[in-house]
Amino acid sequence: MKIKAVIAALFAAATGSASVAYADINVGVTLSATGPAASLGIPEKNTFPLMPTTIGGQKINYIVLDDASDTTTAVKNTKKLIAENKVDVIIGSTITPNSLAMVDVAAEAETPMIAMAASARIVDPMDAKRHWVFKTPQNDAQMAIAIVEHMTSNNVKTVAYIGFSDAYGEGWWNEFQKIAEARKLNIVANERFNRADTSVTGQVLKILSAKPDAVLVGGAGTPAALPQKSLKEKGYKGIMYQTHGVANADFLRVCGKDCEGTVLPAGPVLVAAQLPDSNPVKKAALEYVTKYETANGKGSVSTFGAHAWDAGKLLANAVPEALKKAQPGSKEFRKALRDALEGTKNLTGAHGVFNMSPQDHLGFDQRARVMVKIEGGNWKYVQ
Amino acid sequence: MKSSAFSLLPLLAFVAAFAGGPLVLPEFYVTLLNYIGLYAIVALGLVLLTGVGGLTSFGQAAFVGLGAYTTAYLTTVHGVSPWLTLPAGFLVTAAVALSLGFITLRLSGHFLPLGTIAWGISLYYLFGNVSFLGGHTGITSIPALDFFGIELKSGREFYYLIWAALLVIVLATRNLLDSREGRAIRALKGGTLMAEAMGVDTPRSKIVIFTVAALYACLSGWLYAHLQRFVNPTPFSLTQGIEYLFMVVIGGVAHVWGAILGAGLITILKQWLQDWLPQVLGQSGNFEIVVFGLLMIFVLHRARDGLWPIILRMLPEHTDRPRVPEAEALPRRPVPAANAVLLDVKDATKRFGGLVANNKMNFNVRAGEVMALIGPNGAGKSTLFNGISGVDSLTSGEVTFCGERIEALAARHIARRGMSRTFQHVRLLPTMSVLENVAIGAHLRGRKNFIHAALRIERDEEARLLHEAALQIEHCGLREHMYDIASSLPLGKQRIVEIARALATDPCLLLLDEPAAGLRYREKRALADLLRRLRGEGMGILLVEHDMDFVMGLADRVVVMEFGEKLAEGLPAEVQSNPAVLDAYLGGVE
Amino acid sequence: MDLQIALLLGQDGVTNGAVYALLALALVLVFAVTRVIFIPQGEFVAFGALTLASLQAGKLPGTLWLLLGMGIAVALIEIAISVRDRHLQRIPSIALLNVGVPLVLAGALFVVSPATLPLPVQVVLSLMMVVPLGPMIYRLAFQPIAEASVLVLLIVSVAVHVTLIGLGLFFFGAEGSRTPAFTDMSFEIGDALLQGQTVLVVVASVVLIGALFFFFERTIYGKALRATAMNRTGARLMGISATVAGKLSFTLAALIGAFSGVLISPITTVYYDSGFLIGLKGFVGAIIGGLASYPVAAAGAILVGLLESYSSFWASAFKEVIVFTLIIPVLLWRSLNTRHVEEE
Repeated sequence: MKIKAVIAALFAAATGSASVAYADINVGVTLSATGPAASLGIPEKNTFPLMPTTIGGQKINYIVLDDASDTTTAVKNTKKLIAENKVDVIIGSTITPNSLAMVDVAAEAETPMIAMAASARIVDPMDAKRHWVFKTPQNDAQMAIAIVEHMTSNNVKTVAYIGFSDAYGEGWWNEFQKIAEARKLNIVANERFNRADTSVTGQVLKILSAKPDAVLVGGAGTPAALPQKSLKEKGYKGIMYQTHGVANADFLRVCGKDCEGTVLPAGPVLVAAQLPDSNPVKKAALEYVTKYETANGKGSVSTFGAHAWDAGKLLANAVPEALKKAQPGSKEFRKALRDALEGTKNLTGAHGVFNMSPQDHLGFDQRARVMVKIEGGNWKYVQ
Repeated sequence: MKSSAFSLLPLLAFVAAFAGGPLVLPEFYVTLLNYIGLYAIVALGLVLLTGVGGLTSFGQAAFVGLGAYTTAYLTTVHGVSPWLTLPAGFLVTAAVALSLGFITLRLSGHFLPLGTIAWGISLYYLFGNVSFLGGHTGITSIPALDFFGIELKSGREFYYLIWAALLVIVLATRNLLDSREGRAIRALKGGTLMAEAMGVDTPRSKIVIFTVAALYACLSGWLYAHLQRFVNPTPFSLTQGIEYLFMVVIGGVAHVWGAILGAGLITILKQWLQDWLPQVLGQSGNFEIVVFGLLMIFVLHRARDGLWPIILRMLPEHTDRPRVPEAEALPRRPVPAANAVLLDVKDATKRFGGLVANNKMNFNVRAGEVMALIGPNGAGKSTLFNGISGVDSLTSGEVTFCGERIEALAARHIARRGMSRTFQHVRLLPTMSVLENVAIGAHLRGRKNFIHAALRIERDEEARLLHEAALQIEHCGLREHMYDIASSLPLGKQRIVEIARALATDPCLLLLDEPAAGLRYREKRALADLLRRLRGEGMGILLVEHDMDFVMGLADRVVVMEFGEKLAEGLPAEVQSNPAVLDAYLGGVE
Repeated sequence: MDLQIALLLGQDGVTNGAVYALLALALVLVFAVTRVIFIPQGEFVAFGALTLASLQAGKLPGTLWLLLGMGIAVALIEIAISVRDRHLQRIPSIALLNVGVPLVLAGALFVVSPATLPLPVQVVLSLMMVVPLGPMIYRLAFQPIAEASVLVLLIVSVAVHVTLIGLGLFFFGAEGSRTPAFTDMSFEIGDALLQGQTVLVVVASVVLIGALFFFFERTIYGKALRATAMNRTGARLMGISATVAGKLSFTLAALIGAFSGVLISPITTVYYDSGFLIGLKGFVGAIIGGLASYPVAAAGAILVGLLESYSSFWASAFKEVIVFTLIIPVLLWRSLNTRHVEEE
């Protein structure tokens, strides 16, 4: 069995062609399963085996490649998926720089692309290239507005920001700073730290000496716990905010009791079970959570995997439309698929309800985010 | 360098593959070749810097970043034409490389690679934190290159640009290495001592190869930015800098073609692993880097010099030897008047901490005489040699050479004034031919620089230099060894090669450190004949030697040293009967 | 910046610097004895910490399988050599040492639930799993090319690092872990709180450095290592095997690395790839010590820790830029002071 696979692979490598069945729909995926963004990319990668293998009677092949959180590799992967695997659509990548770098390649090959990275710059401003590009994660701005609103309604006057020294921390800073300024919030400190730093004492002391009412940590996964733990250790008493990047069980495990009371915006999938039954997203979100945890173990779900899941949802919705117009593997099909994606209306995903338009290739509204508080070592949905 | 016909073989294969490749290959293979080309350009710089010059750099990725960011910034923000941003990138890179090189190249030993790590990381974080460079997120919408109205948008079009650039660089690098300046660079790897003594300005050679390697990287970055049309800091990180080094070591760090082989091998291997590993091991883990790492360890166990030398061994052995070109002889320096004092050493003293190696040494050497410096081991003879020839500085004292004070001058400046030397421990470049080794001696007698060499417009001068080297080899009776690899000669003959190299500098004073050690009787006689002939031509010779028969039969005057001090001086016969000398040599038998 | 902040930053710098210093010592040791610039030094930090965290979470750490796998590889090679040289009597001890011991360890962990064990036992078990990886890596990756150039050894070192990083991600996942503090004590200095664990890190580092000093000055193995470091050929002539010295230095390096990991995991989160940056900073310290002097290397490492701490206060976004730019003049100064005329 395995030997056969090896021989097939060797043969494919030798003849320079991956086995491509032209009748199937090929979905090319590049994501950051290794490198600095691995904690985001791995749940995404684990989501693809859960996706439908046929849509509209057509077999779907998912070709999943790792780009190691590196832009060059992401572009190389995209070119490979287009040229070698003749994919009809590209999903990826996990992080903003990689996705931005892929936009040109996808647009030139006239292949629709669905990014799983947060920055609004991926689909905005709309132009001839972004015409081909869609995304599933909420824009940072949308999340930042929620935080700022929560701050102003909780009498926060001064706030400090500490974020990753990478595209994630930078993207959040740009959005947060704009919105906070508009809402007359006074930002008293802006600090950066590295994902793998062993100490953030310097930054934390700087923040403490500015005496902010609240601190926002712009980081993803367990590394975002370090500034918060250090602040607690040094006796900080104000309100702590995190971003939706921390929304996985590992963060709670590492941060422990130091994170009690932390507030963050997140996709509804994080607290799916606590949503009122009237919330349209509840059912779709629970479906994903159940599927993922059945496959990967209880408590393993993270909101990042759900972005991949939503990309799959968009496809499941758009592919039947596109199939009416053209056969997979053709330029016409890719165009029809793009048009169908753009025409997505009222599609409920795990993170919200998609209503796309030629100007809006994300299509989320307020239903795509909820406020969450950490209570008793768990995520608690806040009305 | 290898013979021309032989080294043309890979070049011809390269050009043929280059021209025909995109016509027959599938799209993605062209894409891969594009990346290979980009990596190979950087790797070539490392061959020059690390493989040939012996300077290890982890920071090349940062120079790639400089090239990429310069063009990204200028084209997107100021709308400058991409063709103008290339020279702009070169300027920026050269400025940065010169200032970094000015500091880091002073670092010796392991300080140098760490220095490159340090500024490599600094520049990487600088790219990410300077807001006008797009921060960590990056700069989008870099325009495509426009080549006389053709937009180079597809990989196939870009391919020709990348590989044409690579071809030019390969040729320029090969030309450079096969020249006077190239020999000076190759001499760096054996330590700077010998190169300096032969008149090579080693700091200049170092900074030139450092800058050239940086400019190669910059070119690669410029191409990268317009191929990718997006830049952000990740491709210019330390990890990538290490990867470039990886490529050259796997390919063969000392070989121009090794750079291309390494870049190709690593790029293709990674693709290959990405294709078939998931089919073998399943999708669950990411074993690509694990298997990649293990393979690399395996390869280096089998081929620690990289893979190119192995391929070389499989190619047919070449038999045609390069001919020494016929050329006009080089001008010689005027012979000093007979018996004129060439070298005058006054109160030369050298201390190492509390240890006095030379104490107030006084003697002189005249034109047309052989002066021998003898003494027991550890008497300070080699230290004195180093002090006179500028290899090491004296603590105090005066050295006058041809009427000019030279004790403060560096070795290369002293060499330029007509003093040349050999070393007690032979310092030849083991992988180079005898001819090339001797030609290093003629370095001082050429003028043409790196650019002339890269463009190959210094062939006249090069012919004259090689001609001179060949002449000195024949002079020293090594004609049949002219094209042998230096390390293949017995030690005694290697000493004679050192003399030939010293003679190629056209000296009026020759300092020989134990030239007869390891020679057989007949060889010693031949050497003595050679030295007599040189003396007859008016050369002054200062000789350190242990073989008393050899010394006494040859020297006109003898200085005896013990414990760093002069014990006796005089004619050989006088010295031999001096009781103090007998005492020193016979170990104080009373 | 008032005095209290300055002191707190200083304390933070010294704590980090103490860990860098330990790694710097390990790097100097490995380089001096084997000429290997040991990039994977940091991986031992991560592996030590994460193995302990796995045990505490009641999981079998992946390092156990790595130990078993490498043990089998080493045993196969050594047995093949024994058979070739007809030293058949050596085979049982080879098999027992390289395969038997890991198997016993694995068996023990299957029987006893590791999460229930007391902390010191867990620490010892972690060290038992991680430290033997050191000599095994030497045997598999470096011993066959012990005479190669420093550059080739360095590249092999990078390859080992890449392999271990990949395995680390597979074993421990992308997210980090912390372990509980060894001590809950804390001291009040002024109105600042000093965590007991922080003090422990510094004290343990000093003790370990002292122990190393004792080892090198007083024990026969330590003297043998020093002799090898000074003169490889000479040491071999005196009957000190380069292989034994190499394995010993790698064992010590692995011990220092894994122990550092266990020390810092209560005060910071450790990730599968944390080691590289920590190791790099230790490396900077080691180079400042000229890869030869232990005290200067330790001082250099503390300097790096302090630089880092203060620059993260003043301009956190430019922290690495500042630290690594300031390193250059230090290197220059060191380079000019360690004048070594080429051997003539």
